Amino acid sequence: MTSRGTPSRFLKSVLQNGVGRYVCQIKRISLVFSKDAQTSLGAREFIEDKVVDFAKQNPGIVVYVTPQRCRIPKIIAEYLNGTVKEEPINSKTSEEITQLIKKLTSQSGLEVIRIRKPIHTDSPSIQGQWHPFTNRPPSLRVQGIQTESKAQGAAPK
Amino acid sequence: MASGYFVSRGLSPLGVHFQHVCRNVLLTQTREKKRWMKSYMLLMERKKKLEGPPPPKPRSHQPNWDYHAEVQAFGCRLHETFSLDLLKTAFVNPCYIQSEEVNRKQLGVDREAVALNLKDNQKLSEQGAEFSQSYLADCCRDAYPNLPPEGVNAIVQYLTGTEIVCHVAKNLAVEDLTLSAEFPVPNEVLQKTFFAVVGALLESSDPQKAGLFIRDFLMTQLIGKDLFELWDVINPMGLLVEELTKRNLSPPEPRITRQAGVSTVLPLHFVGLYSDKKLMAEGPGETILAAEEEAARVALRRIYGYTENRRPWDYSRPREETTAAQAIGSN
Repeated sequence: MTSRGTPSRFLKSVLQNGVGRYVCQIKRISLVFSKDAQTSLGAREFIEDKVVDFAKQNPGIVVYVTPQRCRIPKIIAEYLNGTVKEEPINSKTSEEITQLIKKLTSQSGLEVIRIRKPIHTDSPSIQGQWHPFTNRPPSLRVQGIQTESKAQGAAPK
Repeated sequence: MASGYFVSRGLSPLGVHFQHVCRNVLLTQTREKKRWMKSYMLLMERKKKLEGPPPPKPRSHQPNWDYHAEVQAFGCRLHETFSLDLLKTAFVNPCYIQSEEVNRKQLGVDREAVALNLKDNQKLSEQGAEFSQSYLADCCRDAYPNLPPEGVNAIVQYLTGTEIVCHVAKNLAVEDLTLSAEFPVPNEVLQKTFFAVVGALLESSDPQKAGLFIRDFLMTQLIGKDLFELWDVINPMGLLVEELTKRNLSPPEPRITRQAGVSTVLPLHFVGLYSDKKLMAEGPGETILAAEEEAARVALRRIYGYTENRRPWDYSRPREETTAAQAIGSN
């Protein structure tokens, strides 16, 4: 679809993240997998080898591991702004799952849709926003000031 | 899947499957098109439309929730070391304790048997609120020395008001961890909980860390905001006259500098304020009075140093203590 038909948003951050300190925007990752199914093989390998290291390296993310009977294993990521993202890890290898989790941790919870501009500024103008009257001499003589200029017979009105 | 075995009825080629859910419960399933399905689904849809969406459930009532782990992660995520007891106390609200007592009485649980050893966050909340307000006031006064006390108060009230604090708290996952009587957590309760967290930080680490926390999460909410959005000034011209008399400058004289489309539906007047015949500020407006007011506001912004092109707040290094404390510390 065209850009007009699909949703879009402006570049922004949650709570001005990064201006003060950087806060990892993910709060919870839940791994839902099956103990026996073929499709959760990668998930099971990931849990055996890598999940504990991942949890130790990111103490700010709570990792839940739920074995339950399911056809498609999932990763459910919850972000600080309330967004919940579910990603299927159906028949993925352990490395692919690590990459996916890395991608999820580096995202903020804002929607992944077209960003209209790759820039954002809160002070768009330093010298003052141009308007048609900038740098134009005023056509009106500034009226009403009883100055010496009148007494000196300066420029006519 | 539970062990299923297949029994053919003989009449239809689509057999009947029996499934043992457990030893004594048997479910029958058929593969054919189910004629009751459509009316059942339509009925369900109608019911859903009548009742509306289900009420929101707090995160603690949804699967996958470990309070202790969440509280620990909360501290690590913000790069702060909290004492966990203080932090857990900070999340407990008095309304929660009351509702728990009521529930326990209703369930008939003996009071002494399962004592509710929870302290509420009243004290921490007051400490946190006081500290935040004083810290924010100090920051504003340092950064904008020309701003009068009413302006500083207005900014502090805005930053510690319900709107901003609740917005920050919701986006920092404080709402998930609060223990309160109602859900969704009411704004005042959430505000108190946030200040209690600040109070807990104050007690667990030093005031400097708490100050940095407030700077990083509350001061950043000022980005992109204009002074007069936060501070409601009814008579900017009068305020400007006061400011100028305080600084021994001559009072402002308004003059029309530019005009366009005066006799049209969208007139534009620019009024300039002159003090001592030097242009102080110029402001646009639809009517001359509106333009004069706007010019007064522009002049006030210039005087207080809160213009749009001012130097942005310095978040790079930790804010230094007052020079006196530094001198004492170094000696």
